[in-house]
Amino acid sequence: MLEYSFSKPNSSRSPSLVTEDLRSFISKIYTVYSTNSASFMGLSSIGTASDGMQLCIFDLRRGQHEGQELDKILYFFPADLPFSTQLSVIGLSEGLITFTRIFSPEAACEVIEAERHSHVFYEAEPDIWMVMIVEKSKDSEAIWRIDALREVLKEIHSLFVMFHGSIRALLEREPGGGLTRAHLYPFIMDYLRACQKRSPLDKCCCGNAEVAVSDGLIWIYFLVGKKLQLPSFRDCLMERRSVQMLTVGREAAIEVQTLVRILESSAGNLPCFSLILFQDLLVSTTLSPEDTINLYKYAVLRLTPLALSSGAKSWSYLRKGNSSSHVSIGSTLLSTGSVSEQFYGSHDASPAGDNRYHVTRPLQHDKWFKGKDGFLITDIWGGDIGSLNVTTPTVWLHQTEERMYLCAYQYKSLTIILLIPLSSILNGDQGVSILKQQLLENASLKILKVEEKLSKGWGGENAYHVSGYRYLLVDGNRDISRASPPTKVTTLSKESLLALNRLREEVDAEKSRAKWDNPGREKDLEVCIRAKNNAWAVARITGGKELYMVLEKANETLLYASDAVEKFSNRYCSGTFSLD
Amino acid sequence: MSGKASSSQASIGGLGSGSVSHVFIQYPPLRCNIPGSRGFYYDDGNKLLLSPTSNQVFSWKTAPFSPNAAPNIDSITEGPICSIRFSLDEKLIAVQRSNTSIQFFHRETGETFTHRCKSESESILGFFWTDCPSCDIVVVKTSGLDLYAYDHALKSLALVETKKMTVSWYVYTHESRLVLLASGMQCKTFHGFQLSSVGIIRLPKFEMVMAKPEANSKPVLASEDVYIVTVYGRIYCLQVDRVAMVLHSYRFYRDAIIQQGSLPIYSHKVAVNSRAPISAPLPVLFRGFPRSDSFTSRPGTKESESLEASDSNDNEAIIYGDGWTFLVPDLICDIANKRLWKIHLDLEAISASSSEVPSVLEFLQRRKLEANKAKQLCLAITRTMILERRPINMVAKAMDVLVTSYALSLKTGSYFKGIKTERTPSSVPNVSGPGQGEDVNTGRTDGLGKSVQQESASRVNSVSVGRSSNYSSETEDSSSFEPLKISSNDAQFDSGKVDTGARSSATGNPLNASVSEQQESQLTSPAISPDEMYRFVFAPAEEEMIGEPSYLVSIILEFFRSANLEKVKVNPNLYVLTVQLLARSEQYAELGLFVINKIIEPSKEVALQLLESGRQNFQIRKLGSDMLRQVSLHQDYVLLLVQDGYYLEALRYARKHKVTTIRPSLFLEAAMTSNDSQHLAAVLRFFSDFIPGFHSTSDFSTYYHILNEMNSSSVVA
Repeated sequence: MLEYSFSKPNSSRSPSLVTEDLRSFISKIYTVYSTNSASFMGLSSIGTASDGMQLCIFDLRRGQHEGQELDKILYFFPADLPFSTQLSVIGLSEGLITFTRIFSPEAACEVIEAERHSHVFYEAEPDIWMVMIVEKSKDSEAIWRIDALREVLKEIHSLFVMFHGSIRALLEREPGGGLTRAHLYPFIMDYLRACQKRSPLDKCCCGNAEVAVSDGLIWIYFLVGKKLQLPSFRDCLMERRSVQMLTVGREAAIEVQTLVRILESSAGNLPCFSLILFQDLLVSTTLSPEDTINLYKYAVLRLTPLALSSGAKSWSYLRKGNSSSHVSIGSTLLSTGSVSEQFYGSHDASPAGDNRYHVTRPLQHDKWFKGKDGFLITDIWGGDIGSLNVTTPTVWLHQTEERMYLCAYQYKSLTIILLIPLSSILNGDQGVSILKQQLLENASLKILKVEEKLSKGWGGENAYHVSGYRYLLVDGNRDISRASPPTKVTTLSKESLLALNRLREEVDAEKSRAKWDNPGREKDLEVCIRAKNNAWAVARITGGKELYMVLEKANETLLYASDAVEKFSNRYCSGTFSLD
Repeated sequence: MSGKASSSQASIGGLGSGSVSHVFIQYPPLRCNIPGSRGFYYDDGNKLLLSPTSNQVFSWKTAPFSPNAAPNIDSITEGPICSIRFSLDEKLIAVQRSNTSIQFFHRETGETFTHRCKSESESILGFFWTDCPSCDIVVVKTSGLDLYAYDHALKSLALVETKKMTVSWYVYTHESRLVLLASGMQCKTFHGFQLSSVGIIRLPKFEMVMAKPEANSKPVLASEDVYIVTVYGRIYCLQVDRVAMVLHSYRFYRDAIIQQGSLPIYSHKVAVNSRAPISAPLPVLFRGFPRSDSFTSRPGTKESESLEASDSNDNEAIIYGDGWTFLVPDLICDIANKRLWKIHLDLEAISASSSEVPSVLEFLQRRKLEANKAKQLCLAITRTMILERRPINMVAKAMDVLVTSYALSLKTGSYFKGIKTERTPSSVPNVSGPGQGEDVNTGRTDGLGKSVQQESASRVNSVSVGRSSNYSSETEDSSSFEPLKISSNDAQFDSGKVDTGARSSATGNPLNASVSEQQESQLTSPAISPDEMYRFVFAPAEEEMIGEPSYLVSIILEFFRSANLEKVKVNPNLYVLTVQLLARSEQYAELGLFVINKIIEPSKEVALQLLESGRQNFQIRKLGSDMLRQVSLHQDYVLLLVQDGYYLEALRYARKHKVTTIRPSLFLEAAMTSNDSQHLAAVLRFFSDFIPGFHSTSDFSTYYHILNEMNSSSVVA
């Protein structure tokens, strides 16, 4: 009845024995839950009250005494669920984590597959867990890959850390937890808003509101249509936590790198980092992979020309073509709809700043503008956009564990992000504006030149389309991916996509098994499956690089499909995936 | 004129008078005091200073210049001497005896014959030897040009061709191979011929500009007022308009003569700043000047000449005299004192005096004569510039200059020629670097090949007139009309005379003996190869710059950019250095981009360095192993895989790429360490199947035994 999957326990015990133990053990637990406290499970209510998705963050170190259980809840979506229900969900998760830790102290459970729900676990920070519960709807669209869901959790957390620092640090700063909640709620809501499907009504401001009450604060969010866009099988040809790069010729690459040098030198002797994007593609970074992914994501969400111009159509490049994919079609209006009317006016006008905590909401929509000098400005961090007197945004870097000023400059399709340590600029915003001036003086010409070079060499949105192939190429070593353009992926039939989704799940499982069997070793893998519609779904993994492919016109034989992959590998991956 | 040249000029001009002078003449001079001398003649074709007496001709080689050069002495018969020139192979001496006859002496056999004008109505204005393929000597007469070939057998001249036209006077320089024939009432109508080793080019007739002082008077242009000037291989003509006090310049093209502009002349004199007691005025009016627009406006600084401290002693106190005659290109003949001075350009002083490093480099890169010295200076300057952490854009410009110059020298072949010269002196192009008067004996091919060697002292000095009525500023290569370059082959276009020099030595000129004595490397070009950039600039800079390597990476990147633009290949070691620098500063993200975007081009050296640097960073190591595969270093790649424990992958790869050189025991050992009996069995099986006779090797028995033990022990367990 209940499936489970968890990380492999220490190898001292034979796996099969443990499995047997667990199976009986868990079924017992489940029996207890299901018989004695059906409402405690809260599972029954999930489907109706929310749109099939619940997301919670809790701290195992908190609320360990009776009566203080609420303390452990740091975030819950949907927030309007009764606390008892929230607690029951968290309680189950906590129970499973505690239990599975007996067998695998290092990595507790990753996922629980129940009959109607999947529980996806992610330990974001030690003892701070994020759990996502998604409903297995009868709807044929509601098919996903667990790892893709976990990537969402990872993304939320790492973006959060980039802007606000670690959750643990926030908790330590204010042990009451109010500060943490005050940060988490708006942040994740903004994130989910970015995830949700846009409806044409949205612009008319007649959406629904999400109201969250925590620590006496009232948060109101508009989740239009309640259609959260979670990664579904239709997204199986993309990799969330990775960066898409622009392929450039040597000459352009040299120009770009000289520009990087100029950027850094214009900051004087300050240690600084830079990120350069062309359209929504990364051109250069001097950041660590982790920080690059986060900043790249943020840039694509909010800073690139596309993100700025289309404000509302937030996911831009990445999301195109996914319009048909969303988790819920329930679209139930919130019961608090009337409340939303009431608070509507105060929504954007009075952000969190008016409340007890000063909270910045970096993921807010339509908050970035391009200034006259080409620098992007926002009042998210405070200040008045009208008077151009705004506080410079800051981010926290994983690599240096330091807070940095974020300066974004845009020229045509080129977006340049410069990060300078807070500690190295003494007079704050004034120092930053001096730096910006220097940057303009030193680099303007070069920026012009680079933009021109890149524009000339760019093949457009379909530049990386390879006709006949629908592919996803992931370089796990460098967190880079490249895929067929979304518009091309949509031409695939549902069967093909489902087949590939299934294949990827297999590969995910295989990878995580290999990771535990043989840490630090990469496994070579090749899987080909044939879908109902006679399409081939192929996965090849070698040396940390992954290639996924759907071949709908690959004729009859496996040989043909294999040939096609070989050709692709030789032509576009310098033979990485070529077998003998 | 050349914009580049003037930019370097400007930088030199902008020194202010207080700075070091850029030109000096080296003590001691060549003393050519011969009793009974009847004056001096300069044979610019052979670079010989000639001093005839009543029955002898003393000749000094002036290139390379040596104050100790002993004269060659040849006997001639007595008689009047109008002019005297050696044939280009230096076998014959031609002496113009009158305006109707030229007498020839064979230097070895002593035979003589006389060539006379046929008609009484014409007279000989002069003559010169030529390396034109169809003829050997050109006689300029009032009725035109007579082109003769010397017939060795008959010991006489055979008429090849006649160009009929009236000629009032003419100017010729061997350097430009150009003869300008003046005609007309005012002598301002010119016909021109270039007689070079590629043939004869007839220039279109043209007129020079003359101002009229009054309505009626028509000034006549004198031969002293017209100079052929060769600047960086381009031929110009300078004309002094005494009436308007304007200097006109013309540029010669194959099919056109274009006036380049005119400059006012403010003063006839430019002071010579000399440490010598006499600061004599140097008549500069007729001396022409290389090209700078600023020369007249800034006299006395750039034009200054000074003597090195050692020069101004004892009896040399009177340095400048009215008897000074400036010879092409860098000699001063002091007729009164019978001395010959060599003018030197003080490269160090010039480069030390300007902070405009790119311009200085540009200037130095044009040096052909003291190529080696210029090259060393360039290297030192570049190195210093990096060590001093000059602004990146300035260094970038400097890189551009150096790389462009190298690319050009590659294209023209002069870079390799220089290199080749060092190895095969027999084809020596006779371009020596008579730097500080060192005696570099370049043999006698000079006769034909020498004009490559024009040094540039006179460039800055702006002096060179002399009887040859020829001004030459520094020359790059042979003079030729620009369009000519297209028609001729590379070597030709680059340095026609070098070519001919080589040819003359190939003909077995008996005098061409002492070539092997060359001591200094005979560089024809100060161009710096990427290899040298690495060895003499980047590698030393890297050693000396401690700490933050980011600046050096920026510089290297600029070098890559320049090299890429000029399609010059970069030394793989520089890529290795780049990897090291980036890895040292832990700029792994950049390093990754450098490799992925092929800014660092793949090579074995780079791959190995990536593996080495990748010890601290897994991704970098990965790039290294990928590169090994990419550049098809199959064996290294297989070894690496085995080392990293990927022995099965290694086997598969080895089979695919037919790597057979790696010992089976390596794979077997790796399989054994992994403690997986199945894998070990698979590896054993692999070798048994694919290596004939593997069953009988000790490897097989050893590991077969081990495998059996592993199996039995696991069964027991």
